Amino acid sequence: MDLEAFRAGLAEWLARHHDELAPTHEGAGTLDQQVAQLRKVKRLAYDAGWMRWGWPERVGGLGGSTLLRAHLGEVLTGADLVEPGSYSMTEVLAPTMIDYARPELAAEMVPRLLRGDETWCQGFSEPGTGSNLAGLSCRATRTDQGWQVTGQKVWTSFAQYAQRCILLTRTGSLESAHRGITALFVDMDSPGITVRPIEMMNGAREFCEVFFDEVAVPSDRTLGAQGQGWAVAMDLLPFERSTALWHRGAFLDLRLRRLLDAAPPETLDPMALGETVQRLATLRARSRATQHRMAAGERLGPETSVDKLLLSEAEQSLFDLAQGALSAEMLAGDEPVDDRWRAEYLYSRAATIYGGSVEIQRNIVARRLLELGDER
Amino acid sequence: MDDAERQLFGQAVRRATETHTGAALDTALAELGWLDALEADPHTAVAVLFDAQGAANVTSSALGQVLRAALGLATGQSAVLLPPLGQWDPPARVEAGLCVNGLGLADLAGADTITVVAEAELGQLAVTVSPRTLHLRTVRGMDPSLGPLVVAGEVPDAADGSTLAPGAWAAAVDHARIALAYELVGASGALLELARDHALERVQFGRPVASFQAVRHRLAETYVAIEGARALTDAAAAQPSTEMAAMAKAVAGRAARQAARHCQQVLAGIGFTTEHPLHHYVKRVLVLDELFGSSRVITRDLGRRLSAGGTLEPPITL
Repeated sequence: MDLEAFRAGLAEWLARHHDELAPTHEGAGTLDQQVAQLRKVKRLAYDAGWMRWGWPERVGGLGGSTLLRAHLGEVLTGADLVEPGSYSMTEVLAPTMIDYARPELAAEMVPRLLRGDETWCQGFSEPGTGSNLAGLSCRATRTDQGWQVTGQKVWTSFAQYAQRCILLTRTGSLESAHRGITALFVDMDSPGITVRPIEMMNGAREFCEVFFDEVAVPSDRTLGAQGQGWAVAMDLLPFERSTALWHRGAFLDLRLRRLLDAAPPETLDPMALGETVQRLATLRARSRATQHRMAAGERLGPETSVDKLLLSEAEQSLFDLAQGALSAEMLAGDEPVDDRWRAEYLYSRAATIYGGSVEIQRNIVARRLLELGDER
Repeated sequence: MDDAERQLFGQAVRRATETHTGAALDTALAELGWLDALEADPHTAVAVLFDAQGAANVTSSALGQVLRAALGLATGQSAVLLPPLGQWDPPARVEAGLCVNGLGLADLAGADTITVVAEAELGQLAVTVSPRTLHLRTVRGMDPSLGPLVVAGEVPDAADGSTLAPGAWAAAVDHARIALAYELVGASGALLELARDHALERVQFGRPVASFQAVRHRLAETYVAIEGARALTDAAAAQPSTEMAAMAKAVAGRAARQAARHCQQVLAGIGFTTEHPLHHYVKRVLVLDELFGSSRVITRDLGRRLSAGGTLEPPITL
């Protein structure tokens, strides 16, 4: 299945199933509605085959280039059928399972994620550990059956909807830093897990605290080897900074078009508008190159920090422009369409914070790409 | 060209730009087959040479050759008159005679003939003109090493002109903008390298200044701007359209100005002297940005067009 055939076939399928695929809610919808919509679209796309292309056959895929799944993501977000953030979790978490889980576990679990039968979350950050991921302290101690986990995670997206969690735990001493971290695949219905959604300033409770109180995790749920958790994280993070961004770029293009339609005359500053369009095009060009490198089998690494920084700038530029042009609606409107712009504007303030803050990304660029030596 | 050929070609071109400038560079480029490459694989030829030219801060007649090729004229002969700085319409009009107002660079100074593209009633013409019939005035300006010449005059007889296909000049502008975008990216890369080298060597407070986060982040932002510009220019070169070429030029120009600002700051006092090469690049990028339309004007025009109801170009696809 080549990209052209996929493109054509998918377009035709989307047109034919337009009504089934369309969201039943107005505007952005609640988080519950967004998650239900995502599950529906994934199920329909999986059953029709589209969702399976670009993934290995041993995990329920149909093989083929990763460009195929990049294209699917672009089309679904670009058509406003799914919200890019939650859609891209698959792109971030499935490769980790494929690379680090026991083959039988990956074969059993990944299809559930692809089909939308399950939602997964990512347990990385902690109250005391944000940018300094190596300092995490959620502890996993050895038991006869495997592990016992006690600790707390925070900023865990969609944990309240998740059946599974890819969890980073400390298995070594506190001094062992990144060397004493182990990744586990945890069932969210395990006794001892409490999830508490956090209300964010954009009105959504997308991020959660997750408490682990002596949670039992079997040995065979270890991802990779004991002490290999840092490598798992370092492999996963570039996906957050690359493939997920291709979908987000498509979403930003969609919102730009909506803005051009919605903005009253004379409200768009030409210079700012021109710059925004250019920033989006720059992001797309760079992200496209990254998708092609990945499809060619190249390993993604610190260079993805460039993609993330370009995304942060592009997203904030777009919503700054929107805020200026749709000021009345955004600041004093209550229609679903106003709610959506408002929520998206507020969420865009976090674009320089999530997925590795811009300070961290610049640190990575400085150390790994510019090779400026140690920071002191 | 396949990957191996492209690599060898790139090495040869970079060597040439590191050794020669001006007419000597033109000779070296012709000898290594750059004009042939411009015809056979223009994307590679332009990307490789203009990046190298920008990085080495040298001059050649290559921009004129790009214009000639895009206009369907034979390469290797005759210098091409450029529009005045900041503009991109043809540098001449046919009224009673041929009214010329354009910009020449170093390659124009010693040329036997000049190709002048002119706007005429029935379309656009490429007119071959003898330099003796025009008034050529060398100016110093911001970057004297570009050898800029203000070229003006009225030539009574425009007989020696061939009609250009409709849209040929517009396409030539697109190709010139892509070439200049690569040159800006190359110059930006050289600026960053100068700043990086300095930051690693310069020790203050007992440590290299490269170890201070403020310095690191300035250089990191510069790196990101350059990589973004490079990606957009590559995308434009792969599928040239007027909108993409304009965007690439504007983004590359903005990135270069940002690089100049940040690298100037990191290079501090020493970078401000003429003993250090920084100033050559700082001045060069200002002129390159203005050629065929500055980042400021292109960006503003894009915004104006869209807010007046113009359509967005389809986004870049996989």
